[in-house]
Amino acid sequence: MAERVLITGIGMISAIGNNVEENFRSLRAQRSGIGYSQYVDTIHRNVLPVGEVKCSTAELAEMAGITDATGFTRTTLLGLIAMQEALLSAGIRDAAETPTAFINASTVGGMCDTEKIYFDILDPEKEGTFLQLIDALDCADCTQRIADHTGLTAYVTTISTACSSSANALMYGARLIRAGLVQRAVCGGTEALTRFTINGFNSLKNIDKRHCMPFDNDRNGLNLGEGAAYLVLESESFAQRRKARPMAELSGWCNTNEAFHPTSPSPEGDGAFEAMRKAIAMSGRTLEDVQYINVHGTATLNNDVSEGRALERLFGDNVPSFSSTKPFTGHTLAAAGAIEAIYSVLSINRQMIWPNLNFNARMEELRISPETRLLEESPVQNVVSNSFGFGGNNASLVISKYGY
Amino acid sequence: MDIKCYIQASAAISPQQSFTGDYTPQLLPLTERNLLRAQEPGYAGFIPPNSLRRMSRLLKMGLTSALQCLRNGNASVPGAIITGTGRGSLQDTEKFLHDIRTYEETALNPTPFIQSTYNSVNGLVALQQQCTDYNNTFVHRGFSFEHALLDSILQIQEGAAQSVLTGGFDEMTVEHHYIKSRIGYWKTALTQPADMLESGTQGTVAGEGSVFFLIGTAPSAVELKGMQMLYKPTPEQLSASLTQFLAQQGVAPEEIDLLVSGRNGDTRFDHFYDVAEKVLPSSVEKIHFKQYCGEYDTAGAFGMWTVTQELLSGRHKTALLYNHFYGEQHTFVLLQA
Amino acid sequence: MEALKLKLKQQIIEALNLQDTKPEDIDDNAPLFGEGLGLDSIDSLELMVLLERSYKIKVEDPREGRKILQSVQTMAEFIMSKQAA
Repeated sequence: MAERVLITGIGMISAIGNNVEENFRSLRAQRSGIGYSQYVDTIHRNVLPVGEVKCSTAELAEMAGITDATGFTRTTLLGLIAMQEALLSAGIRDAAETPTAFINASTVGGMCDTEKIYFDILDPEKEGTFLQLIDALDCADCTQRIADHTGLTAYVTTISTACSSSANALMYGARLIRAGLVQRAVCGGTEALTRFTINGFNSLKNIDKRHCMPFDNDRNGLNLGEGAAYLVLESESFAQRRKARPMAELSGWCNTNEAFHPTSPSPEGDGAFEAMRKAIAMSGRTLEDVQYINVHGTATLNNDVSEGRALERLFGDNVPSFSSTKPFTGHTLAAAGAIEAIYSVLSINRQMIWPNLNFNARMEELRISPETRLLEESPVQNVVSNSFGFGGNNASLVISKYGY
Repeated sequence: MDIKCYIQASAAISPQQSFTGDYTPQLLPLTERNLLRAQEPGYAGFIPPNSLRRMSRLLKMGLTSALQCLRNGNASVPGAIITGTGRGSLQDTEKFLHDIRTYEETALNPTPFIQSTYNSVNGLVALQQQCTDYNNTFVHRGFSFEHALLDSILQIQEGAAQSVLTGGFDEMTVEHHYIKSRIGYWKTALTQPADMLESGTQGTVAGEGSVFFLIGTAPSAVELKGMQMLYKPTPEQLSASLTQFLAQQGVAPEEIDLLVSGRNGDTRFDHFYDVAEKVLPSSVEKIHFKQYCGEYDTAGAFGMWTVTQELLSGRHKTALLYNHFYGEQHTFVLLQA
Repeated sequence: MEALKLKLKQQIIEALNLQDTKPEDIDDNAPLFGEGLGLDSIDSLELMVLLERSYKIKVEDPREGRKILQSVQTMAEFIMSKQAA
């Protein structure tokens, strides 16, 4: 029997808070972080609302304790802030003491900063420190800067499977631990808003000009967001030896591909169905054991039909409470899986279920509707967290109260 | 490894005549810039016209090499699809960046944005072969293909898959070649592949390619014995790790009869290859594969393909692949005939 | 109208890279999506870009787009109605 994988530390930054506690307070106060961008240079700035972290890049550098921020992109700094909190919360003073994997996730790397100087780079007449950002054109740059800054060196890599990226990072880190290659892995993702991504999703015509309305009949697209989140995963035996405080167990996971369409999910949610079903089976829990599902719930026309149908097919008449937290944070793409995994941990630890904001009317295609109230003192022991993306990449995680 | 892993099939699109027929590596001549371009095959026999019309170059190369690999292995649906790419479709990323500027963020074609996503090749392979199982993409320079390989081995060890389609692909555009020239990636003077290792200068020659393997439990002529990655090691750590790696694999250095090395003539980083070579007997036969494919994030996949070809030829028994990418991501892979 | 439809067909072929298709292969009333030309939702977005760039007509809602893009005939009628307005 392979070892259990425990979550022993969490750290995050998003549109609703610069750390886990602030995120928790905003969730509880039902306070959304969606609004117009202060920092992205785009013509859509006052048209398309986003979930932006409420700090300038310079302020982020200060928070991360970086005095010379040359070469540090917003993506890197968001990640570094979340990483520092994750290590601290796990009681890890020196990450280099134990061989630790760092599995990061990113969709466009340092694009937030490189897109501003891209055409200067192409101009042979132009010289300057901006050339130091050339390496940030890829996804590895942010990962390595965070790794080098914190001493995580055993396995260092970056996953990019669109919106399921950091769910896959968590899965891969957990598997490295179960294979015995490391005893600890820090996994998650970082994503900064970019003109590139805003225009990309806008070209797909799936951004809502209003605050996004997951699972609502009148929904018309997503809001993009930014943020970073990391979870410290440790083998049960290692966590016990060092007397770490387990926050939850990562008890099940599954990655499937829909093989349906390059960008759209299948109408019946075949991939989502399989991902949830197999993740729950792996966790050793039954369908009845699941109290809450943090759905992918992007509020695009296609996702919510597909995911909703998958929920109905899997759970029948007993679909557990479910909600999308994207009306709080926006869709943070590569960071979404890890941000929502932390919200799942909080749901278990605080015994609360987060409300699905902006919901008015049930979708005509579905029999179910999301939880719109904040449920407190709710006995949550097992949470399913979904992340589905482009290319048919689907990922579901099961996060469980430790000991159950 | 508890369960043995074998290379059941492979396919390579590279600057060489590697895709079809007998492979004889050539030191190709360069005329314009330090860039070895991949030789693209005909795509018509692989991709339906209605899909082909939209695809950019890297997507076509990636998908076609993946499909050819499955054909070579008489397989249709692998148990997982796991890839690595350092840059994804650069052509699409560049087009979208230029379009944003040209059209001032209005009326943009979505296709380049969709195809710039790093996992788009994986999605296309899954779609065309109707493979609904595990699917993952690593995007980390010299740890892109390499983590795809490790993930594949784990899938097999976990019993989750009997066979995995594992690949690495990258393209180099003229624009990106210029960008990287600004931070010293390439040699400044035009340097022929035949001369690159002895040039005594900084930088190297760029390359590109797409290489896929079908890795599985069914025994075949080449066994994938094990692998190890090292992030930013010192020369001392590298030497000690290689010695330890071979010991763990139960292979004495003298048993290695082929070293396939990523040496690329960059005077800043070639000393790592000297360190690794010192761990092995001086008589070991060496192939420096980047003379044939150039340097790129997932060149390690072409290195492993080179090892596979050599072992299949029957000339060697035990081969070590050692590659690093600009001194940062180092990997050993041990393969045996 | 006929001239507009011919031009649209040429533009569709170019925008979607329909290499082996000639304008006369496209029936005015044949469905562009699913059967017919075999186009999909990404093509429909590409055709909306075509409408915006070449005819300065912006289609915001993909659901509206699907109605307009049923066939070359419906596209042409929509363009005429917009230009007349």
